Amino acid sequence: MSLVADELIQFSSVLRIAYNLLAGRNYLKRKKFREKEKLVAVTLPFSDLAFAADTIPVFPIRMQQFEISKYLTYLGSASSIFGWNTVSNFLGFIRNLGIKEVSKIVDDIIEDVIDVINKKYNQMYDIGIENGISSDFCYGLKSLVGMHISKGSNVDACLNVTIRCSAYNKYLESLKAINQGPKQIWVDIPPRNIGNAIELLTDNISNAIKDFEDLTGNTITDNQLRDHFKIGNQVKRSYKNIIYDISASDFYPCNPATFSEIMALLSITFQDYNSNATRYRDNIVSLEKEMRERIRKGIGMDVSKMPRIFVTPMFGGWEPKSHEIIYELGGRALYADWELLQLLEEIPTSNHSNPAEEYARFLMNATETGIGCDNDKLTDSYLRMARNLNVDGMVFFQLFGCHSISNCYTMLREKVRRELEIPTTAITFNKIGENVEQVKTRLGAFMEMFK
Amino acid sequence: MDDLNLLSDFSLFLKEKKQEGIKIVAYLAHDNIPEELLDAAGFFPLRMIFGGNDDLMDASHDYLPPSTCAFAQSCIGLFSTKPKAFRFLELVDYFIVSNHCVSDVCVSEVISKYFNISRLNFYVPYTKNESSMKYFKLELLDLKNKLEEIIETEISDEKLLKSINKYNQFKKVLLEVNELEILGSEKLKIIQKAMLYGPEFLPDLENNIRNLKNNPPSISETSKDVLLTGCSIFINDNMVELIEEGGGNIVFFDTWIGNHYYSQTIDENILKSEKSPLDLLVLRFKNNIYGDHSVPNYLEHKVSIIEDYYHSYKKKNGKRLGVINHIIKFCDHISLMSSFLKDSLQEKGIQVLNLERDYSRANRGQLSTRIEAYLEMMK
Repeated sequence: MSLVADELIQFSSVLRIAYNLLAGRNYLKRKKFREKEKLVAVTLPFSDLAFAADTIPVFPIRMQQFEISKYLTYLGSASSIFGWNTVSNFLGFIRNLGIKEVSKIVDDIIEDVIDVINKKYNQMYDIGIENGISSDFCYGLKSLVGMHISKGSNVDACLNVTIRCSAYNKYLESLKAINQGPKQIWVDIPPRNIGNAIELLTDNISNAIKDFEDLTGNTITDNQLRDHFKIGNQVKRSYKNIIYDISASDFYPCNPATFSEIMALLSITFQDYNSNATRYRDNIVSLEKEMRERIRKGIGMDVSKMPRIFVTPMFGGWEPKSHEIIYELGGRALYADWELLQLLEEIPTSNHSNPAEEYARFLMNATETGIGCDNDKLTDSYLRMARNLNVDGMVFFQLFGCHSISNCYTMLREKVRRELEIPTTAITFNKIGENVEQVKTRLGAFMEMFK
Repeated sequence: MDDLNLLSDFSLFLKEKKQEGIKIVAYLAHDNIPEELLDAAGFFPLRMIFGGNDDLMDASHDYLPPSTCAFAQSCIGLFSTKPKAFRFLELVDYFIVSNHCVSDVCVSEVISKYFNISRLNFYVPYTKNESSMKYFKLELLDLKNKLEEIIETEISDEKLLKSINKYNQFKKVLLEVNELEILGSEKLKIIQKAMLYGPEFLPDLENNIRNLKNNPPSISETSKDVLLTGCSIFINDNMVELIEEGGGNIVFFDTWIGNHYYSQTIDENILKSEKSPLDLLVLRFKNNIYGDHSVPNYLEHKVSIIEDYYHSYKKKNGKRLGVINHIIKFCDHISLMSSFLKDSLQEKGIQVLNLERDYSRANRGQLSTRIEAYLEMMK
């Protein structure tokens, strides 16, 4: 991992995003208790209404105390005095000097970012099971239940957006049984775009906005919605640029394993923008700039000979060692779940548009053409993404207990073989770290096809 | 054996339907499919209410992972292995893809795609508010249009109203089965047969009820009464026998095959009102509060109906009633809410057995032990 650490500290924006992810607890405590802001639990990238309502959206795992918070607190304090770029450069400088103790701390911080999150995910998974959720459900759901059991009572509301996964929708219903305190705010997305479904979804969004107004006691104007959508659009633009212009290109600003770690970090943090949309926008925009700058200077790695392996889905749980394994086997892992699900589409913000309606169109588009109301549509999304990224192979994580996405693999394999003619493989997944050897074997066999 | 006779008779019945030129529309056992609309279009609605076994589940693994709901797996297995007793499934002309749960979507899609059965869509919103009622109507209209395209004629309001009345009457009679003091297995057989044949079974149903009222069969006094909630017991499944062998007797079927279906009646005054037939179907959807599809109040409604039934039973009979929550393995809705349901009911002093199983023969012994232990505790 030291190579990964070396690379990561070159991107100060990554440090910032990672810091905000792991040190979220203090930030959220300050917001809730000192600034009297309302915390709203969100899952999947559906935080827009919470931001527009001036509440603090939080992906519930961020309320946890993370093991390495001591270092991060120090780093955070140093950065608040010297600025992030200075701290980042300083860390790189110390590392280059080879000062062991400090160097170890630096390594720990960077290495721990992904590892610590994953450990915490596993802890949440165990809490979920200990508290009664059947082990038959997918990793993501069990972890989410654990997160709410553990810290869900700290939030003032939960923003519940229905999707095609029935287990997910039932999990959303179960939140009020787990913690009676938080207000439950619902947005039901109609399963198909038929008739005036957009109008009906707009009504549902307007009702959710009213619920937010009740929660905060403040009116939410159209301009507030537009202002947030503008920030969200900038985030999405940079995210997309990183996916298409950089991850699909032949020269990376760092080694591919590091690059995948950054993409994994973005995937996790995109769900709540680290609870501060402007700050997150600034970080992701600067991440894109940093990457481009390095590429311009020729710092990084020529990856043109490394097959592009699209690894998906990963948002509901996947083996995080897979990108390292793929890298060691001569390939590069590409992550792009949110783009695949059409959740990186921009929302029009012109003054004469109705922002609630525009948001309805955005959600409906994701439902219809991203996640899809059936597996035929969903598999088309995988194909579209694979084509757009010009991938050489696809690794499909088949989550144990996932009845929504994992179920499409048979159909997907057929379509990929017929229409893309690229190799594909499925890897079963239950819990992080549980089957790393098996993942290695499967990926080893799979990567042989590219030699 | 009885189930095989039922299936054999039903097979002949369905063949006759086909010979009369009637098209068969199948769908997974789902409480929001507007069977009245299918009936009004001249189709025969065939609800997939058949239990599974190891072979059927195994056969589905070519299409879906083994961690799919055991009932859904078995439905695929029926189409893929075509067991002799289920050859009538070859007569199916259309399959409805719906989203009662995501397994419903995936399985219906697989059946339609891989077994070459034309597909119809009918999706249901998750919440119950003004917008979702309007959306449900859009789906009804969409299905109606598709059916009209197929039959090349309009489904008149009059025809649809007639079908709504027919099914309403049928459900009202079926509701009487609830009150019969007969063995649970006998009650279930009547309900299953009625739901398989539909309103054409009405004369037989009325006869059955009359006979059973006049000559009520005796039930062992030592058996312990039980309310069954959660997943349905489907045709060709031995769960009810397991419960009875363990000393229990199901007195109330709070499941799809049972109260969820026949409690969905429309008041006569409303039927006679000026409401359009589609609005009547929307109203029925709105009133279907016990179905497990909807969020966010399913759990509250479920707890409330069980609690009400429990107390009225206790008042009438002076003894406790058991509650078995039947969970078919990997069922999203019932499984996820099971621990919450159990906790909520137990807080109210109602003992619940969460009984999870698939259709494998191997777990029969274990299930019996759990049922016996639970019923023993009720002494």
